[in-house]
Amino acid sequence: MPGTRPRPPRWRQWLRHAGVLLAAGVIGGALFVWSGVYNVAASDDHWAVTTWLLERVRVQSVSTWSSFVDEPPPLESVEKVKLGAAHFEGGCTPCHSRPGDTANAIVAAMLPPPPPLGPEVATMDAEEIFWIVKHGLKFTAMPAWPTQQRDDEVWAVTAFLVRLPELSPREYRELSGAVRAGDEHKSATELAAATEALSLTECVRCHGDAATPPLSAYVPLLNGQSAAYLERALAEYAATTRSSGIMQPVASLMTPEEHRRLAAWYAALEPPPMRHERAPGNAERGQRLAQQGDPERGLPPCLACHSAAHPESFPSLAGQSAAYLELQLAVFRSGARDGTVHGQIMSVIARRLSREQAADVAAWFASLPPGGAPRLGAAQ
Amino acid sequence: MSRMHARLARVTCAAGAAALAAGCAGVQSALEPGGVEAARIDLLLRAVTIFCTLVLVGVLVATAVALAGRRGWRARLASERLVVGAGIVFPLVALSVLLGFSVRVMSLGGAAAGSGLYLDGDMGNALAAGSGLRIAVTGERWWWRVVYVTPDGRRFETANELRVPVGEPVPVLLDSADVIHSFWVPKLAGKLDMIPGRVNTLTLVATEAGISRGQCAEYCGGAHALMAFYVVAMPPREFATWLARESGPAAVPDTREAVAGQALFATHGCGGCHAIRGTAAAGTIGPDLTHVGSRLSLGAGILPNDADAMARWVRDNQHVKPENLMPPYGIFTRAELGELVAYLEQLE
Repeated sequence: MPGTRPRPPRWRQWLRHAGVLLAAGVIGGALFVWSGVYNVAASDDHWAVTTWLLERVRVQSVSTWSSFVDEPPPLESVEKVKLGAAHFEGGCTPCHSRPGDTANAIVAAMLPPPPPLGPEVATMDAEEIFWIVKHGLKFTAMPAWPTQQRDDEVWAVTAFLVRLPELSPREYRELSGAVRAGDEHKSATELAAATEALSLTECVRCHGDAATPPLSAYVPLLNGQSAAYLERALAEYAATTRSSGIMQPVASLMTPEEHRRLAAWYAALEPPPMRHERAPGNAERGQRLAQQGDPERGLPPCLACHSAAHPESFPSLAGQSAAYLELQLAVFRSGARDGTVHGQIMSVIARRLSREQAADVAAWFASLPPGGAPRLGAAQ
Repeated sequence: MSRMHARLARVTCAAGAAALAAGCAGVQSALEPGGVEAARIDLLLRAVTIFCTLVLVGVLVATAVALAGRRGWRARLASERLVVGAGIVFPLVALSVLLGFSVRVMSLGGAAAGSGLYLDGDMGNALAAGSGLRIAVTGERWWWRVVYVTPDGRRFETANELRVPVGEPVPVLLDSADVIHSFWVPKLAGKLDMIPGRVNTLTLVATEAGISRGQCAEYCGGAHALMAFYVVAMPPREFATWLARESGPAAVPDTREAVAGQALFATHGCGGCHAIRGTAAAGTIGPDLTHVGSRLSLGAGILPNDADAMARWVRDNQHVKPENLMPPYGIFTRAELGELVAYLEQLE
């Protein structure tokens, strides 16, 4: 018939239908978002299907992405578990509650609520736990580890979480140091009674005081360390130029004035009675390295700097646990302490030390009484 | 070509020639020999260049004739006598003469100066075997460790600079602490490799007083291009005075700033790598600093020796010479750095 267009081919008709549907979808979606009809209230629980979908995505994603995690280091070490428990007590219990406690009302009103971790982690393997602690979870309030450069700290927390399902509340309080700092009520009374008194509860729990040694071999001894050094360390943690997911939050919650007072308090403390663990390195070789260096590898003697002649820049290492010293040498080697000018010097040195030399030198410094490193040349 | 194009072409050629000529002069120029071996190399260079230029001109003329010359000349050019004479006999004779001349010149350098190869690879033995003033230069990454042995057997160490008396042959024993380096000071002599496990000897004879610049001539890592040194040739009497002072201990600081700088040096671990004779600092990993204030340069020939450059090196050496083995010392305040530099600069 004249005046009519020929019919378009089949596929073009389908394309037009699809285009119309797509446009309708986009407009519908825009209307849905703009109108605000979707209720984001946390007080109003998800539909069952939404909950199912979110949880399934989470479980599958964690399972897939955690397969890229390196082989876990040995997690049975009780020193690692204590370090992880100590951080859990300060950093995680506000949301996840201590084992045996009920969640507080605020936490219970979150969506999704932070679960009590005992039953949760019992179903997960170590790499998945590590991944969640290190990276956090989107669409929840679970934060990532404050720094991505300290896998050693995350493994310590993982080591604790792996043990958590079998811990009783009393065992937990012992491991995390909650018993050491005394009753929370007591420290609050102290604060109220003497407004000048610092709340030392948190520091003493991990770092000890004149009567108790540090909670874990991975926690440094602060007694008798240079006050200027301690203050600078806290300032660097607060500024996040020194990487530590455990210490950065602690330091940033305090004012510089509190940093100064805490540093002065610890600097004036006598060392506590220490237990000496067997260090794996050879202390005799370590002493030679500390006093003579290793010119072949470009290593000056450790005591050239760490002889307590200038502890503000080069902290005293005597009496620190060998595990802590070896850990810090590994952290220097990894570049996690390149963010400060002091760290840049030691990072260069640490990269020249072999693993064996690091163990030896750590063993020797650990064998010295705290504050007792001889000056370079004294024993030559 | 338009007038403007012609002028542009002339200016470009002149500028290019000037740039080239500038590269031919100066403290590192092989074309201005200041030493005996460099003079021999220069003689050889001129002889070979002139000969080759003459041969080139001859070949070009012959080619021009072959392409565009008269029939008679072209026939003569193609004759068998010319081909055999100019193509076989002349090269044989001329190149033999040239070869003989070269060998004679270079072996004169070898025999007269007594250079040889010590294959036992032990610098200590090599030094002990000689007599008279000798210098041991060890290539490090990326600086020069220089040990003087005086005629009366005293030894002392310095770094990154050599001083020699004019007219006296000085054996320079070369080895390396790590990878292959090469000792090259063009004004005085040719290159000689510094090979780990082996001691090579180069004899320097300076013919005039003056400053020559040398550099490492064998790729040895990232900072290879920043590994240079100066050689200062001095009249014998001045050299003896200098030797007496350089072999002595470091100057004692007398200003308040320098004394504070000395304390900083002692408490910040500098002595773990650097030595200053006469103090407790006895490190052997880095350059000896006993008389660093009197050197012509810092950082192995790459920075001038003044307070600013010294401060820059201490604080920012990784930016000046990336990947060098000294850690960056950013831990000093501006005032402290000034004091430390004041101390180091007065170590003359």
